[in-house]
Amino acid sequence: MAILRKIKEKLISLVAGKKKEPKLKKISALPRTKVKEEAGEFKKEVLGTQETTVEKAKFSTPVTVKTAPRILQELPSRYGQNRIVLQVRDPWWLHTYWEITPDTLENLKHKLGSAFQAAKIILRVYDVSSINFDGTNAHRFFDVEINYGANSWYIDTQGPGRSWCVDIGLRLASGEFILIARSNIVHTPLDSPSWITDEEWMIPEDMFARLYGMGFGFGKSSPAKAWQQAMRRALFSGTLSSGGLASMASPVKRVQKERKFWMVVNTELILYGATEPDAKVTVQGNAIKLKPDGTFSLRFALPDGKQVIPVKGTSADSIDTITITPVVNKETK
Amino acid sequence: MSKGYLCIVLHSHLPFVRHPEHENFLEEDWLYEAITETYIPLINAFESLSNDKVGFRITMSLTPTLISMLSDSLLQERYLKHINRLIELAHKEVERTRWQPEFNALANMYLDSFCRSRDTFERYQCNLVQAFKRFQDSGNLEIITCGATHGFFPLMDVCRDSVKAQIKVAVSHYEKAFGRKPQGIWLPECGFQPGHDEILKEAGIRYFFSDAHGVLHGSPRPKYGVFAPVYCKSGVACFGRDLESSKQVWSSIEGYPGDYVYREFYRDIGFDLDFDYIKPYIHPDGIRISTGIKYYRITGSENKQPYNCHWAREKAAEHAGNFLFNREKQVEYLYDFMQKKPLIISPYDAELYGHWWYEGPMWLEFLMRKIYFDQKTIRMVTPSEYLSENPRNQVVTPSASSWGWKGYNEMWLQGTNDWIYRHLHQASFRMTELAKDFSRSSVNGLLQRALNQALRELLLAQSSDWAFIMGTGTHIEYAVRRTKEHLLRFNSLYEQIKSNSVDENWLADIEYKDNIFPDIDYRVHQ
Repeated sequence: MAILRKIKEKLISLVAGKKKEPKLKKISALPRTKVKEEAGEFKKEVLGTQETTVEKAKFSTPVTVKTAPRILQELPSRYGQNRIVLQVRDPWWLHTYWEITPDTLENLKHKLGSAFQAAKIILRVYDVSSINFDGTNAHRFFDVEINYGANSWYIDTQGPGRSWCVDIGLRLASGEFILIARSNIVHTPLDSPSWITDEEWMIPEDMFARLYGMGFGFGKSSPAKAWQQAMRRALFSGTLSSGGLASMASPVKRVQKERKFWMVVNTELILYGATEPDAKVTVQGNAIKLKPDGTFSLRFALPDGKQVIPVKGTSADSIDTITITPVVNKETK
Repeated sequence: MSKGYLCIVLHSHLPFVRHPEHENFLEEDWLYEAITETYIPLINAFESLSNDKVGFRITMSLTPTLISMLSDSLLQERYLKHINRLIELAHKEVERTRWQPEFNALANMYLDSFCRSRDTFERYQCNLVQAFKRFQDSGNLEIITCGATHGFFPLMDVCRDSVKAQIKVAVSHYEKAFGRKPQGIWLPECGFQPGHDEILKEAGIRYFFSDAHGVLHGSPRPKYGVFAPVYCKSGVACFGRDLESSKQVWSSIEGYPGDYVYREFYRDIGFDLDFDYIKPYIHPDGIRISTGIKYYRITGSENKQPYNCHWAREKAAEHAGNFLFNREKQVEYLYDFMQKKPLIISPYDAELYGHWWYEGPMWLEFLMRKIYFDQKTIRMVTPSEYLSENPRNQVVTPSASSWGWKGYNEMWLQGTNDWIYRHLHQASFRMTELAKDFSRSSVNGLLQRALNQALRELLLAQSSDWAFIMGTGTHIEYAVRRTKEHLLRFNSLYEQIKSNSVDENWLADIEYKDNIFPDIDYRVHQ
């Protein structure tokens, strides 16, 4: 344990120093295809970032999509029962959503009278790790004050590797708590290696630290780096602050606004004409196909320089021949 | 004798997008692009390896939604139309670029490659699943399954019946497609939640993959890190991802795909060329889209230089050599250190190869050849082979994790998409209720059809892709629409079933639109 703690401390100081490099490498920015700008801007050190970029590229969608404005019915805003559901977002954060029926609140209002006005609606978050939670035996709990308009919440538990349960209810001025609904129980994952080792598969700490670093792709020379990164939230959350609401934003949306005025000019040459529908025509020696009415139209990318374009028409009986040769000079200044 | 194993895993997936009610549907292009740029180039690479008798082993997941689309006759017809139009455009490009030799060579390259795509497609009777099956039957590929519609399991945990349904539907779909049982599964987005291994076991699945921290943060501490699999208490094996080899391929900054010689993904003639000229090949409403013809290389600056396929090919060979060299060094080091042959698990999105990294399939082919001919340190294996040679492994409960942004559930659970779970979970609870209410085997006819369709709609709503797209925050309309549409259909079916008033015409219409999993049985959702 001592070795790990030392490594951890060293790494924390290292990380704190390193965080000051703000530059993101930009892959490149092509203004025309908007898709690009959104995809490129990731912090490379956050796990899963490249995976996100690549996966996003599968769903390329043009910038403006005109879909028929077919109006979809809305999903129900409530399902008519008191329920609170708890989910894990990551080792530190939980997400909960709930529904309280209007009847329930009416009844409480009626029952509590004036006490209702003074009561706060809260989420009571219980740490129920390794116990059979019966509502009274939690290791500890904390309250989050919410409001009647909300129907979901993110909760920072600061507690990786623990089990959690949430009650929604009213806390009266007297301190009494009135339960409305209780959630399912969830478990936040560890954000670092387990402290549990098994005897049969024992491994010395320094060796594990090395393997751990290699598993994260830091090579064999710097096992400490991985520890440090995992100890802070850097590897998994991209920032060192707990972030609050800001941490809920997706990385893809954090597009820096830059001035990106641009212009492109290209030139193409359209060569068109007409002859007898059964004639044979070549352009620069290559046979071309006439439309049924004897017209033709060709289109060329036109680079700088001189293009000599002999157009030769031959009658179907191969007796008459006409050659017309446009010469085009193009330069860009 | 070899000193270690390498296991390359390609995860191929696209959500079920099929709109028979529209002549042209933009999002169907996701499939067509992936066919031309990824699936066919991979098949061509496998064929070329097998023609040259190069032994190779690759593990590949094909999701049930992808298999369904690849085997669907409407989408097959539409793909043919799509590739024929591309060939026509490539012909025009060969003409148009006559005075620009660099571009002309590229136009010819695309013309050849599109014609070859059409040949390959037709050679397998327009059903590419047959191609992958062929390489599984020849022992080169180990095809594994995935969640039925790629639902993200950790966020279905409140109603595990849905996780069960995702897995069971996938397994029976796999059996029908490949005539055998799947040995392994790619958990959608690598999303693992302890306890879900029990469901895998029940479905007869022997192994799954997790991201590196899933194993490294597992309990008790894994003795060999991610370089050997662990068994969950259920006996199902978990293989942890090696991030070093991953980074080399995934990262567009430090990895191979960002090399300046490689093709630039974002420059496409669909955006670059004159509107009137390109109009017949973009969306009928005049919306510019990617055509697949891209003339530039990454270059490393704003002023993009034309792509040169010979340089790119050389670079791909060089990078394959570099990858192999690094794996040899890695394996040698680990072998000494662990006193045991390490296993390197390198999983990638299949669509990274070809679609995102144009030269990827070429790189993979070079790598297979080099591994086969040039060295003896590394052996390629599939997870089943590894397990039969190394049956004794440590018992560890992996930690909940995913390979998504930040490593857990946040990509699919944030401000832009968290509203869906209230409705998805409600639908899951209702589906369980229906499956229980109608568990008797005598249910048939219209009622049975409605119940089966209800499960189809629920599964389609659960695709992680919708939440993912909402999470990226751009062009979310389609994802929102799909989520709502399937949930609304589910809710109506639920009401109609409960009140015994199924509207047969309407049911027939949604059966025709959402025709995935024809043999589904709603009773699996309990």
